[in-house]
Amino acid sequence: MSERAEEVRTLAIGVGKGAKQTGGELLRVRNLYLYFRTTRGVVQAVDNVSFTLREGCSAAVLGESGCGKTSLARAILRLLPRNVARYEGEIILDGVDTMKLSEEAFREQIRWRKLSMVSQAAMNALNPVLRVGFQIAEPLLVHDRMPKEKAYARAEEAARLVGLPVDFLQRYPFELSGGMRQRAIIAMALVTNPRLIILDEPTSALDVLTQANIMNALKRIKNELGVSFILITHDVATSSDLADEVLIMYAGQLVEYSHAETGYRHPLHPYAQGLMASVPTLREDRSLEFIPGQPPSLLRPPTGCRFKDRCPKRFAKCEEEPPVFRVGERGELVKCWLYEQTGERYE
Amino acid sequence: MNDGVLLSVRELCTWYELKKWGFFHAGYVRALENVSFDLHQGEALTVVGESGSGKTTLLKTILGLVPPTKGEIFFEGKKIAKAVDIVALRRSVGYVQQDPYGALPPFMNVRRILLEPMVVNRIGTRLEREARVREVLEEVRLTPVDDFLYKFPHMLSGGQQQRVVIARALVLQPKMIVADEPVSMLDASVRVEILQLMRRIQKLHNLAVIYITHDLSTVRYFSERVFIMYAGKLVEEADVRTIVHHPLHPYTQALLEAIPDPDPANSKRMRNVPPGEPPSLVRPPSGCRFHPRCVHRIEKLCDVEVPPMFSPEPNHRVECWLYKS
Repeated sequence: MSERAEEVRTLAIGVGKGAKQTGGELLRVRNLYLYFRTTRGVVQAVDNVSFTLREGCSAAVLGESGCGKTSLARAILRLLPRNVARYEGEIILDGVDTMKLSEEAFREQIRWRKLSMVSQAAMNALNPVLRVGFQIAEPLLVHDRMPKEKAYARAEEAARLVGLPVDFLQRYPFELSGGMRQRAIIAMALVTNPRLIILDEPTSALDVLTQANIMNALKRIKNELGVSFILITHDVATSSDLADEVLIMYAGQLVEYSHAETGYRHPLHPYAQGLMASVPTLREDRSLEFIPGQPPSLLRPPTGCRFKDRCPKRFAKCEEEPPVFRVGERGELVKCWLYEQTGERYE
Repeated sequence: MNDGVLLSVRELCTWYELKKWGFFHAGYVRALENVSFDLHQGEALTVVGESGSGKTTLLKTILGLVPPTKGEIFFEGKKIAKAVDIVALRRSVGYVQQDPYGALPPFMNVRRILLEPMVVNRIGTRLEREARVREVLEEVRLTPVDDFLYKFPHMLSGGQQQRVVIARALVLQPKMIVADEPVSMLDASVRVEILQLMRRIQKLHNLAVIYITHDLSTVRYFSERVFIMYAGKLVEEADVRTIVHHPLHPYTQALLEAIPDPDPANSKRMRNVPPGEPPSLVRPPSGCRFHPRCVHRIEKLCDVEVPPMFSPEPNHRVECWLYKS
């Protein structure tokens, strides 16, 4: 391990120099909305989401399928389909208000320069007729207009960081196993020194041991380079490998934003409590619980709290829109009327 | 063979032949190699393995969907050899598929889906069949039954679809259920519900169940006995507690190390897992199939000779040279 860390530190000079670990504000999302138009009406995929991510911190976005996790990622990265009905809010990345940028300026300044993404099942999206090494170097050639030799050298460094043997760069994607292809995709996201990488289910299609190996590589990158991650997943147990903060989404809204210690051990929102109690554990002996019922349709979400129909602790006030409360000494945010007495209203 | 044994598998091998080039024989994918076990009436058994470890092939071979290359399968003491036996076997074995949406025909409503197995097997009169459909829907808690009878699969949620699949497996009153990753496509909150439902049904009808999964953390909630498979071989067998707290095979140990429990402390430490990937099954490694990745490898033994099953403790079998004495 220590030998490996040494190796990574020496390599980090080229790839990681953009990152510094000061703990300032890296990403601030305020009142973000993303609605889609469909034939059956408007889907409220991301509804008034606000959170802040500090430098060098990683956040896990957890929630059931269809709760808007991937839509949130796409809204931050502005990778939008054509049927957008409403896209507004404030996204400040590294001091730049990205929502004010034009499409072209966003592409040139933000995407892949400061912010990159590993999307779901991306390992199957590698171009089959190009060598892996070229595909890793390509963002540098396009975004930084870097000379070829230099770009390839950087691609090699990135490959080493993620544990991809350097001779694999000469190969084509079909010659690589699933785990190696996934590493190549992560190397591609890393090669331009972004400040923030959004990982959308980066290991869900992989075997358990390969998954653990890739999580190790990501952890090393996080510790050594100070890159921040936003990890989107429905696998609660695996997400705890990387997360400093936990964002829990339900039906398009952010219901809880807390530090890992609170988020995994003592979640605040009733939905978060139900979600954590439903995670099977290997070593701990405890009975599992489940949340009865279905998440609501995002076409016509219920008025008031969106979780109220499934909530064991609902009361009259839940019919109103629940505000966000700030509770706890570390500033956890929770969207639930239960914290009206203990928390301070946050807006 | 003693009385309680329902299914017995002896030295089962399933190889898939690779595509031939002219007259040349290109070789085999050795998906399953020398697997033997007994399953008793009313017993739940879990097979854990990564993708490509042969767990689905084991299931398909037992169901007669793939012919075995070598070895024998006995069901209720009778050897399964001819097509007639396979048809009879399938009547007493229910199959729960992995992807509920893919397993349900989109053009049939729930009532039709559940009637189909009885119609095909010419069981009961029309009224008896209708009554059985209602009974089985109540058993999987799709109530009130009338709300669900005429729904099509796309109108149901993932959890409800999986309940229909389970109901279909139960409709012929089988003696055994085989479930191939029944909860892997479902959300965490629904997963538990389905596992508990399957467990309840298993106890209620005293069914034998083979449950296949890649997720060792769900096993505890379902069965007593666990098989660990690696690269087509059964490498360790024990009860769940023993596997979790006292694993013997180096592969099982690595697997346990790789599976996280939700714990914020995880982000502070690295997992000690072996690098590399499972081997190709066309040319599997000589000797023990795990030896190229194994940290406890014994030179000139593990890479040469295939380890037999050792039983260092009662009810604990392991295929590893470390436990020779």
